[in-house]
Formats: sequence, structure tokens, C-alpha cells
Amino acid sequence: MKKILLPLALLSLPTLLHAATAATQLEGGFKVGPAIILIIILILFVMVGIVFRAKDTTDFYAAGRGISKVGSGMAIASNWMSAASFLGMAALMYGSGYHGLAYVVGWTGGYVLLLIMMAGQIRKYGKYTAADFIGDRYYSTTLRAVGAIIAILISISYCVGQFGGIGLMFKWILGIEYSLAVIIGGTVVLTYTLISGMLGVTKNMQIQYVIIIISFIIPLFILTAKFDYFWLLPQIGYGSVVSDAITGLPINETKALVNSLGHDYAVVPVPEFAMPWDPATGKTFFQWIAIAFSLMIGTAGLPHVIQRFYVVPKARDARWSVVWGLFFICILYWSAPPYAAFGKILSAHPEVGTLAKDAIVVYTAQLGNVHPLIVGLLAAGGVSAAFSTVSGLLVAGSSAFAHDLYVKVINPKASPQKQLLYARLGTVLMAIIVTLIALKNFALIGQLVAVAFSLAGCTIFPLFLLGIWWSGSNRAGAIAGLIAGGTVSIIAITYFIAGKSGVSLPAHEFISYWLEAWYFAWFGAPLAIIVHIIVSRFTKETPIEIRKFLIEQVHN
Amino acid sequence: MNPSENDYHISFFKPTTESARHNRNMVGQLILIWAVAIFGFQIMLKILEKPVPEPSYILFESSWLAIESGTPSVTDYQGAGQAVLSVLGKIAIQDDDKLILENALSWMAYQISGQDESLKAALSDFETIAASISDIADEAYVAKKNELIPVLAELFALNELDVRSKIAPLEVKSSLMESFEGSGRDLLVETMGLYLIHNRSALTDAIFLGFPFHYFYTAVFLLILFVGLCWLYCVRTDMYNKKYGIED
Repeated sequence: MKKILLPLALLSLPTLLHAATAATQLEGGFKVGPAIILIIILILFVMVGIVFRAKDTTDFYAAGRGISKVGSGMAIASNWMSAASFLGMAALMYGSGYHGLAYVVGWTGGYVLLLIMMAGQIRKYGKYTAADFIGDRYYSTTLRAVGAIIAILISISYCVGQFGGIGLMFKWILGIEYSLAVIIGGTVVLTYTLISGMLGVTKNMQIQYVIIIISFIIPLFILTAKFDYFWLLPQIGYGSVVSDAITGLPINETKALVNSLGHDYAVVPVPEFAMPWDPATGKTFFQWIAIAFSLMIGTAGLPHVIQRFYVVPKARDARWSVVWGLFFICILYWSAPPYAAFGKILSAHPEVGTLAKDAIVVYTAQLGNVHPLIVGLLAAGGVSAAFSTVSGLLVAGSSAFAHDLYVKVINPKASPQKQLLYARLGTVLMAIIVTLIALKNFALIGQLVAVAFSLAGCTIFPLFLLGIWWSGSNRAGAIAGLIAGGTVSIIAITYFIAGKSGVSLPAHEFISYWLEAWYFAWFGAPLAIIVHIIVSRFTKETPIEIRKFLIEQVHN
Repeated sequence: MNPSENDYHISFFKPTTESARHNRNMVGQLILIWAVAIFGFQIMLKILEKPVPEPSYILFESSWLAIESGTPSVTDYQGAGQAVLSVLGKIAIQDDDKLILENALSWMAYQISGQDESLKAALSDFETIAASISDIADEAYVAKKNELIPVLAELFALNELDVRSKIAPLEVKSSLMESFEGSGRDLLVETMGLYLIHNRSALTDAIFLGFPFHYFYTAVFLLILFVGLCWLYCVRTDMYNKKYGIED
């Protein structure tokens, strides 16, 4: 089709040139106010990090297990509310409408699974990392090493989207190229993580949560008030914005509502924004279900999320911290769709041009004539969201590298100092790899992060689920399940990368649809669980010590 | 294996103690509510949905039929043009589709104007200015655009409060006015259908707190339910632990 329409494309080239103009105007150059806000926030984070810095390996990995359940809930929320939540969710809804809500549901519904199936039991098991659990429960050093490698891969995959978000926000604030912004942002977040460790990170996460949520919600009150909606609770008030988008909004003769570019606050009917799996979005019912399912089981298998339960004193605290964490998370998730809805109307005029979807939160506030300093705070909040998650991910990844790989597999006699050195070395290595991948700008932030969820859903989730709830789950079953889930993951990710690189593999369209990189766990996870169960049933039983431990310690 | 070893088995589905049975039943109930609330509702949406065209599509269908029959009136061109503008006013359009639609709209404008060359020249001037500016507030650009808005609004019979009148100057292209033939024309009906027909049902049409009901359910209510389920689990677990004397 593209070839057929090439002459038309050439004829309409002036339009495309024109379309870029308004978007560039919104991007602007260096923004002093937002830059100052960002610097102040970053200095605050580093100061808190220094005050509460890690003094030894126990502090570095698990923050001394001295965090309260509300505090831990805040940390869970901050750790969770990444660039994907802050920037990516609104981007997905802005671009794909109702389809984007699969991400909202997936990224919250998973916590129910995590809580009722795992949180308390994980804490009772009493390990530091996900690989620790896997190695111990399946009495295998090899599986511990594989678990550590998977944890590192998941952390890297998750971090790529975050670095993309940091890059976008640094680009907007500093008015520089995306590549340079990613490098600068990546360096800052790495420095911060190295200085603070996890104790600092946990304290910082509580502060970060407050900054993230305030910066995210204030513009919503302003937008709903400015455009004449119910502003006292914008998370409900925006319902009329969605309905207006569906029915279309004529130009308001009396109130003269306009965006910051002078365009009327009006739009033709865009029901595709809210109608389920609308043909115009190119998304289907199957994809909605597959994404929601994959994200939910991925949530229950993410090492850096599971690891949060090791930092609370008791299993009861682990459970309640999930309730608090989910509530704090939902405050942001109730607030993200309004940005997409307002963005849809405020950017409706063709003169606005093509906006970077992942920055639509900031553009919406800008187009809505929100004060530049508040928009700056919003952008800084986006950076904070990415920072809080990246810190947790780098700690989880470096823990896997130093604790699970180096100490437990390679050099069990390593001194605590050497262990900390390797943890920091692992952090630097991961940051470099993530930066290099983030520079490629493969997909939307939310989609990149969803890859990590599917990977976790296919590999770690089955090991934890069966490891906790079925004493019949044994080493052979775990290995077989891991091979099954890992194979599906490798196929899906290979096809994704090949597609992005312009290479067409056999049955490319079929695999890309049914095993898309952001939802392949819908197939991989059940397959891994089934294989794990079948192989466990026909192989040597789990040792008595582990079964005793499960009954006496984990399930009382 | 000696008999005592057989006691050390645990399975979620085969609990051996009363507290474990309670836990299994509670988890089972919560998972069931969770799954039905999420997936059951989406499945119901899928079952109930019907493809419903926007009013613009119905207008387009009748107008385009008249145009294709070879004896169209100005009203037919105006109706089809209004419908095409309704699609071009949507932001998320594929580049290929946008080209087809712009070609169709430009050709319709030319037909309605009686193949007026002065209109074509005015649009061409506007495009030249548009391609050269770096700021959309540029005076010459704004002046020319404001000049074209009423002309095209009249051409397509749009009133001044109709947002389509404001976007028409940006979508009608002088270079695409003279003909609308070939694959673009063949694909027009399909393209219009893609953007103007939507999956709707009673669940999407009902309004609750200002929201379409299905949107409220998924974006707001489900999240409340998740927090509620988690809270319920914690409260009941604390209760059971106290009852059975389980220490955390």
C-alpha cells in the first residue's frame, strides 16, 4: 500500500513539514524553572541517600529490615511507579484508547495475586533475593545462577524503558538531543544509586512517592478546573472529558476555551478513544486479555518487587505493606487516564502535529496552559518516578550479580567488602548496558517495561508459585519448566528484535501477533507451569528437609 | 520412604490442616472474584458488542453512493466532505490513510467549487507560507488561514462552531485536488469504515458519573476492587491467624 501511495506522499510533503512545527514549539529549548526544580529534587534525593547510606551488605540488600508497613507500602508504590506508570500509561491510552487500560488493570491486578499467593510466604521463607529462594528451594546452585541471570535480564529490560523516560524528560527540560539526554540522565541515576544503596533508596522512595504523586495530581486539578469539569476529584471529573471525546465537542461560543497554542477546546467525535478494541486502534480483544494477564502474573514474578518483602520485619507487615502499596499505586493509576483524555482533545488540532506519546503527560499540561513551573514539577516528578524504580532495579540486579552469582556460586569466601565492591561493579555494568539499549528507542516505555513482565511471568513466577504451594515441585521440574518458559521468551524476544531490525523470520506475522514481546507470558507461563508439574511428578521427590521447612516455617 | 516422611507434603489443593483449608477456600474465593471481575466483564463486553457507525459514516455512505453513481449533487460532495473531515479531525490516523483522505477531501472541494482555480491558488499560497514558517503564530500564516476558513466552511456547508471548519484549510491540498482515482479511491470506503465504525453495546452507551459505564468499570472500579480484595485478605488472614494461634 505504501508503494502505491508514494506519489500522494510526495505531493503532500509540505503538510508534513508544517506538522512538525507546533510540536517543536512545545518542545522548546532549555527551560530554567523546570531545570532548577529538577536539580533541587535530585540534590534532595542524594542528600537523603547520603544520610541513610548503606553501611554494610545487609543494609545494601535489605535495608536492615527496619521499615514500617506503611513506609514499606510507600516504598513499594514508589519503587513500582516508574516512568511506565507516570509517562507510559497515559501514552498508551492516548495512542490506543481503551487498549491502554489493559496496562492499568494488569499493573494493579497483579498485586492481588502477589498478595494472596506469595507475599507473606516469601517473607517467611526469609531470603534476600529471588535467586536465593530459587537456589534454596530447588537445592541447586545451577538454578540459583540461572535465577540470578534471569533477575539481571529482567532488571535490564525493565530499566531500558526507565532510561527512555529519563531521557525524554531530560530532553524536554534541557532542550538537548534524546541520546545526550539518556547519557546524562543515566549517569545521574547511576551516581545516586551507588551513593545511597538500598537503605537510602528505601528512605528516598518514601520522599519520592510524595513528590511523584503531588507533581502528578496538581496539574489535573488545574486542568479540570480550567476546562470546566468537576475539579474537586479529577479522577472522577474526567469522566465527562471521556464522554465529550466520544460525542465530539463543538467550539464553545461563550467561554472561549483554548489550548496554549490558541486552538479551540473542541474535537470531532473520537469514540475510538474509549470503545473497546476499536478497529481504528489496530488492537484486538485477544491482545487486551493477553496483556492484562501477562502483566498480572509478571507482577508476581518480578525480582525487585518480590525483594521488597524481605525488607519488612514480619510476614504480617509484608501482607499489609502490599495493601498500602497498592492503594498508593492506585492513586497514580486513577490519575493517569485523565491526562490521555485531556491530551486527546487539547492536541486535536492538526497544527499541534505529532507529539512524542511518551511525553504526552507533560505536553497535555503544557497545552492546557498550566503554569510552566508546575509543568516543570510534573517533568521532575516523571524523572523521580524513573529514578525510584531504576534504583530498586539496579540494586536487585547488582544483588543478583554479587550475592547470587559471585558469592554463592563463584567465591563463597568473599569478604563483605569485596561483595559490596562487586555489587557496585554490577550496578555500573548494568547501567552501561541499559544506556546502550535505551539509545535505540525500540518502542514505547510501557511496552518496553511489559517485556520484563512477560519474561518474569514465564520464568520466575512459576518457580515461586509452585515452590511455595506444592512440595512436590522439585529440581527436575523447575529446570524443565524454566526451559519451556525460557524458550517461549527467547522466541518472542528474538522475533521482536528481528522485526525492529527489519529482518523477517519464518511465520513472522503469526508469531509477532500471538507472542508479541509485551504479552508472550499468556502462553509461556501456563506452559512452564504445566511442564514443571508433569516433570516433577515423574522424577525424584523433593528432599525431606525442604518439605519440612515449607510446612514448619513457610506455612506454619 | 518411611511413614513419617509422608506427613511432610503440602499442596494448595489438598490442605491437611483446618487453617490451611480456610486459607485455600479464602484464596479460591478471592481469585474467583478477581478473575470474573476482570476477564468476565471484558468477555461480556465482547459478547454484547455490535459494530455501530458514527452519524458521519451514514452520511458518507449515502453521499458516496451518489458520487459513485455518476450523478452527484453539490450536497453529496458536501456530505462526503464533512464525513472525511470528521476522520481527518481524529488524531490517530495512519499516514497511508491520511493521504487517501486528504486526496478525497481536496478533490471534493475542487468539485464543489466548480473546479475553481482561484481556490487552488489560494491554497497553494497558504501551503507555501506554511512550509516556510517556524512558528504557527506567524502573522502571514495566520492571516491566510483565517482567510481560508470561511471559504472552505461555506464550501463544505459547515457552521462556524463546527471544529471541522477550523481544520479544513490544513487538510485540503492544492496538489491533490484535480483527481481522485486508483487505489486510493478503491480504499476510501474501507478507510472510512475503519475510523467511523465502533464496537458498542449497552455497557458502553450507559453513562455513570459522567463516564461511559465500561470505561468507569475498568479504569476506576476495578482498581477499587483490587484494593478491597487485598484489604479483605489481610483482615481475614489476621483473623484466622489469631484463631489458630499462628505466629508470623
